[in-house]
Amino acid sequence: MMKAPRLRANRYSLMTLEWPQESEPLADWLKAQREKAPALMDEIAIVLKPAPEHPPEEIRLAVETLDQLDLGLMGLTGSPQHRVVADELGLAWLSSNHGPIESESSHEMVASQSPDTALIMQGPIRSGVQIYAKDRDLIVIGQVSEGAEIMADGHVHIYGRCRGRVAAGVSGQVSAEIFCLTFESELVSLAGTYCGSDQIPEELWSARVRVRLDESSQKITFGLMT
Amino acid sequence: MATVVTVTSGKGGVGKTTSSAAIAAGLAQAGHRTVVIDFDVGLRNLDLIMGVERRVVFDFVNVIAGEATLNQALIQDKRLENLSILAASQTKDKDALTEEGVGQVLDELAELGFEYIVCDSPAGIERGATMALHFADHAVIVTNPEVSSVRDSDRILGILQSKSKRAKEGGKVHEHLLITRYDPVRVENGEMLSKEDVCDILAVKLIGVIPESKAVLKASNTGAPVILDQDSDAGLAYSDSVARFLGEDRPMRFVTPRKQGLLSRILGGGD
Repeated sequence: MMKAPRLRANRYSLMTLEWPQESEPLADWLKAQREKAPALMDEIAIVLKPAPEHPPEEIRLAVETLDQLDLGLMGLTGSPQHRVVADELGLAWLSSNHGPIESESSHEMVASQSPDTALIMQGPIRSGVQIYAKDRDLIVIGQVSEGAEIMADGHVHIYGRCRGRVAAGVSGQVSAEIFCLTFESELVSLAGTYCGSDQIPEELWSARVRVRLDESSQKITFGLMT
Repeated sequence: MATVVTVTSGKGGVGKTTSSAAIAAGLAQAGHRTVVIDFDVGLRNLDLIMGVERRVVFDFVNVIAGEATLNQALIQDKRLENLSILAASQTKDKDALTEEGVGQVLDELAELGFEYIVCDSPAGIERGATMALHFADHAVIVTNPEVSSVRDSDRILGILQSKSKRAKEGGKVHEHLLITRYDPVRVENGEMLSKEDVCDILAVKLIGVIPESKAVLKASNTGAPVILDQDSDAGLAYSDSVARFLGEDRPMRFVTPRKQGLLSRILGGGD
């Protein structure tokens, strides 16, 4: 089955409703939740994740229940055999082939309404300092010391020597990249995939480096910036 | 208007107190009225290095708590008339240092006509160290040429430019790098970071390199700042550093290995 990797890079806050096989009735549980946190239940978008053992008719009933409670059901996820049910009901099917990004998505991802201009920081960024450019790119002018951490939801550009930790696309943006004039990072991370300095090709140490995520292999690739 | 100079490092045992004593004495020798304050409340050492341990009656914490006046607590150095010492308390802990209290004492020292207030910071990044940093106009970062000391110095520089009063008001604390315990022979053998390596990592202007020297321990034990020992290389290197701090341009000394004679090489002496 073809899976669409881009679906993993979702930029919306979605809750996954995990529905185990032998659970208490969904309607009762959801009503109780709504009493506890009415505002939350009215705001959220939900993806239903039935257990693999649920027969299609139970899923149909559950979808009806969610509709009756006026909850924003976006689609189904879970085991592949339920994809047919999603198609029948006219719901989106969200493939959840890998764990970490999915679990992040429910808590941290926030839609970026308008693209902000990049956050510009003057270096040196010292050891122990953390910088996070939320929903935008990060530009550092000067060096980033060992022990410093710089992060952005977008790209990270370092006009200087980078010895610290760098993370781009921290909310799962697989297209985010890192650009660095003198690359000696102790750790790089792109959309949750990371690698330490020992995996940086030797010939690129201290070089002008561009780091990106290979879309098909999901591996971090290093290249000379030319 | 007094200038606050904080001597700090992050890591312990690199020579902050030795350097504070030397810098304060050097500034006083250059004709500036100077006071040196020990911020290491609970583990005071500066009084020993300055040789005034028997003259401490009231201390910094007493002044902050209003138990003594500043004039009662200030100890006039017997060798240099421009130099005074404000000792730390050995019985209290660092929570006794409040931002308000420290600020008030520094203001009073300025009113008394001191030009330079040298703050000897404790190791670490906790209250004592952050209080010593808070009011700094200048910071002298003391670093040994080894990786852990350099990294801790980098950390302290980050704190300095984010948590100090000047930084919070949108300004910048002037940074000066002082490398201590430098051994040119070991640098040449690749066993120690070179001064170029340290400057490259920290990206701070170097004001001095103090060679590893027996004179430092001797000075500590006799209670005289090593800068007063002008027969020693460490003393001369501190004099150069203070001159550079005050804006003078001097070449670096004691940064290349001394040529050893055949005899001393055979006998293994040389210091």
